[in-house]
Amino acid sequence: MSITLDQVTKRYQAAPVVNDVSLSIQAGEFLVLLGPSGSGKSTLLRAIAGLTEIDHGRVSLHGRDVTGVPAREREVGFVFQHYALFKHMTVAHNIEFALQVRGVKAAERRARREELLGLVALDGMDDRLPSELSGGQQQRVAVARALAHRPKVLLMDEPFGALDAKIREELRRTIRKIQRELGIATILVTHDQEEAFALADRIGVMHQGRLLECAAPDELYTRPTTRFVATFLGAANLLLGYRMPEGVRFTPPTRRQTPPREVVAVLRPEEVELAASAPDVKSNFVGYGTIEELLFGGSIERLRVRMPTDGPVPVAPGAGDADGAVLEVSRTLPEQRAFPADVGQRVALGARRIHVLPTPISSFTVVAVDESRAAALRATPLLATLAGRMQTRVSTRLERRVASRHERGDPSPPGMPVVETGPGSADNVSWMLHHGAEQILCLPPGAVVPSRVVIHTLDAAANDGTFAVAASLLRHVPAESLYLAIHPFETPEDERGAKLRELLDARSNALGRHGLDLRTEARFGEAKSELSRELLAHDHPMLVLGVGDLERLDDRWLADLLEGPVQRPVLIVRHSADAHGGG
Amino acid sequence: MATWFRKPSVLPGFGLTLGFTTFFLSTLVLLPLAALVFKASSLSWHDLVGILLDERALASYRLSFGAAFIAALVNSVFGFIVAWSLVRYEFPGRKLVDAVIDLPFALPTAVSGIALAAVFSPTGWLGQKLALAGVQVAYTWYGVVVALILIGLPFVVRSVQPALVEVQRDLEDAAETLGASAWQIFRRIVLPAVMPALVTGFTLAFARGIGEYGSVVFISGNLPYQTEITPLLIVIKLEQYEYDAAAALGFFMLVMSFVMLFAINLVQAWGRRRQAAAGR
Repeated sequence: MSITLDQVTKRYQAAPVVNDVSLSIQAGEFLVLLGPSGSGKSTLLRAIAGLTEIDHGRVSLHGRDVTGVPAREREVGFVFQHYALFKHMTVAHNIEFALQVRGVKAAERRARREELLGLVALDGMDDRLPSELSGGQQQRVAVARALAHRPKVLLMDEPFGALDAKIREELRRTIRKIQRELGIATILVTHDQEEAFALADRIGVMHQGRLLECAAPDELYTRPTTRFVATFLGAANLLLGYRMPEGVRFTPPTRRQTPPREVVAVLRPEEVELAASAPDVKSNFVGYGTIEELLFGGSIERLRVRMPTDGPVPVAPGAGDADGAVLEVSRTLPEQRAFPADVGQRVALGARRIHVLPTPISSFTVVAVDESRAAALRATPLLATLAGRMQTRVSTRLERRVASRHERGDPSPPGMPVVETGPGSADNVSWMLHHGAEQILCLPPGAVVPSRVVIHTLDAAANDGTFAVAASLLRHVPAESLYLAIHPFETPEDERGAKLRELLDARSNALGRHGLDLRTEARFGEAKSELSRELLAHDHPMLVLGVGDLERLDDRWLADLLEGPVQRPVLIVRHSADAHGGG
Repeated sequence: MATWFRKPSVLPGFGLTLGFTTFFLSTLVLLPLAALVFKASSLSWHDLVGILLDERALASYRLSFGAAFIAALVNSVFGFIVAWSLVRYEFPGRKLVDAVIDLPFALPTAVSGIALAAVFSPTGWLGQKLALAGVQVAYTWYGVVVALILIGLPFVVRSVQPALVEVQRDLEDAAETLGASAWQIFRRIVLPAVMPALVTGFTLAFARGIGEYGSVVFISGNLPYQTEITPLLIVIKLEQYEYDAAAALGFFMLVMSFVMLFAINLVQAWGRRRQAAAGR
């Protein structure tokens, strides 16, 4: 591995800007870190170069741990957005700088300089001052300079950001070529997805300090696993779908029938088919809609199609959604010729390809006795933030007596049920869990966004499902997470090693399957007291509690947790062997 | 009139601006100076040489130019450090320190001189302690240097500050990733970038030091042959109604200052050319 990051965390004023990032880059690989501004990608890059110190984690370059090593000894090449050329030096001196400070002889320096100038196609420019060069040429010099000392890795921080479109494209090609020729492991940071697609062997998408997903560009585009990546890379219609025996359906199920599993489906605009009527649709028929807007954009035509109110439900409720969802559609010229459409026209829509996000949290359903309680729950900072960041909807289900065993409502409404903690809630939650609910979010009044999420599972069978839900949660909350494994105090010494290994396995499983990088800690003692001690140790904690076998969930303890004097947000995940795998 | 050197610019009329320039320079700078030269020229060659090469005059040149040079050098180093800390660090009271820098500009120089004398005199606050160490500042040439340091500091700080702001953090980061040590970054990246400004600051502080009068006379003790600066000598000549001698000394200072400032400018220009030509 050329570059290995292990749980790299950087905080500014206690808030993590880079949060538990682990990543490996192979020799010769070109990785593009993509993310909106403020996602922590540049900070991460500077941390790899040693220009920023990190608060937690390790950085290794070519198998050597360089976490505490200063930048000058890391042997990296760094290219800055604004070139950072030494203005008082000629091109030749700029390029030779790294060799000069290493005491390389003049003749050797000169040979290397000529070689590098050839590489970036600037032969003969040796004696120019940076101010005599164009922006594109300056950045070429910066690239040559960064490569002079034959670094083991090349790091580029938005290197094309200050250039205009045409030069950008040309320089992009040059850099890709040089990178291939030299076979040097490269990380490039950008917020431009076109650039990422053009350059990357792999793209890592960062958001709020976390590395959400890291995969080959086509893989990431066609099979994203998170909402953020699905909508950040290209345009996407995110719809709530319902998994039926015959496939994913978009029409909401009628009530009282056994509810099918709710999923989040990605429908790319280019995968939508338009036709005059349902029989003409060659792919899966979605429904009828009315064209609201049509933009001709050269090779591509963009449309917005309004669906009826009883049609597909968008994951994120938008303005005017009461009239039904709006689908974004794009069509190529041949498609336009085959079926010319116009604004106001009623058309039949088909979906050629649907990708179901493996996210375990599709939407939230607040379950409360009356509208004021429901409104209070919806308004808690935690739920409002989660729903906002996940771009998902919060629906409400009013039940006459939530906290009573009589007249129970639906134990598992579509979406994750959200209930209020307090008197009687434990009894209610327990009943829901026993009647099929898989996740329940229990919120005390006014629950705030946690700064620390403690994850604990009552039995190992629940690990996978719990990690899946926790990963989904943590992608949207900038909190630090800790997986706490608690073993009985009586555990003999010789078994403790095995327990620690189990913990490491759990960690690599969480990372491998759910992209969740966990901090782990093993404690030996009594589970309930250890857990409550951990929750008391920090401000604004949240507990994610995994349960496999419901027998293990002690009702008294649950009552303590949900009805006790100190109530915190608790997310209970029930995961049994027959439930779906996480992702 | 030839038009080849006219270039369009935002200010109206090259003729007009050049006219103002020559007018101002003439009436306010060149005319008084010419009067000085005229006055001095009334002396015979022999008398002129006699006045200029007088033992007492020679000693005063040494002190005036020497102390101004040393003070400007000291200010270049410490002024740079002050500018650096003001530009690079954020600390409580930074704005206050920034304002204090300009005080020597605003204070009447006599006030600075009296204050310095009070502090450094053998019975003064710092003078007492220094006397224990066997160092006397007031009434020696050290005192002259101290006064000139005080007067010259703002020139260096204010020249270097904007140049340091221009040195982007990126440049230092770049040099560091290329393997340069802290000293190499300072010497090869930061210093060359601020060097022209530093030389300007040095020149200003030096020029001011040569001409300084008010603050020096209170702390120097004014002993002939020892702590007497040339401007003071000129005043003494005036008080003795030796107007010709005063004009001659003034004329000499004028020539020396001009030659030195011109030389520094030349050196700077040469440095720029050499830098631009480096590597050819």
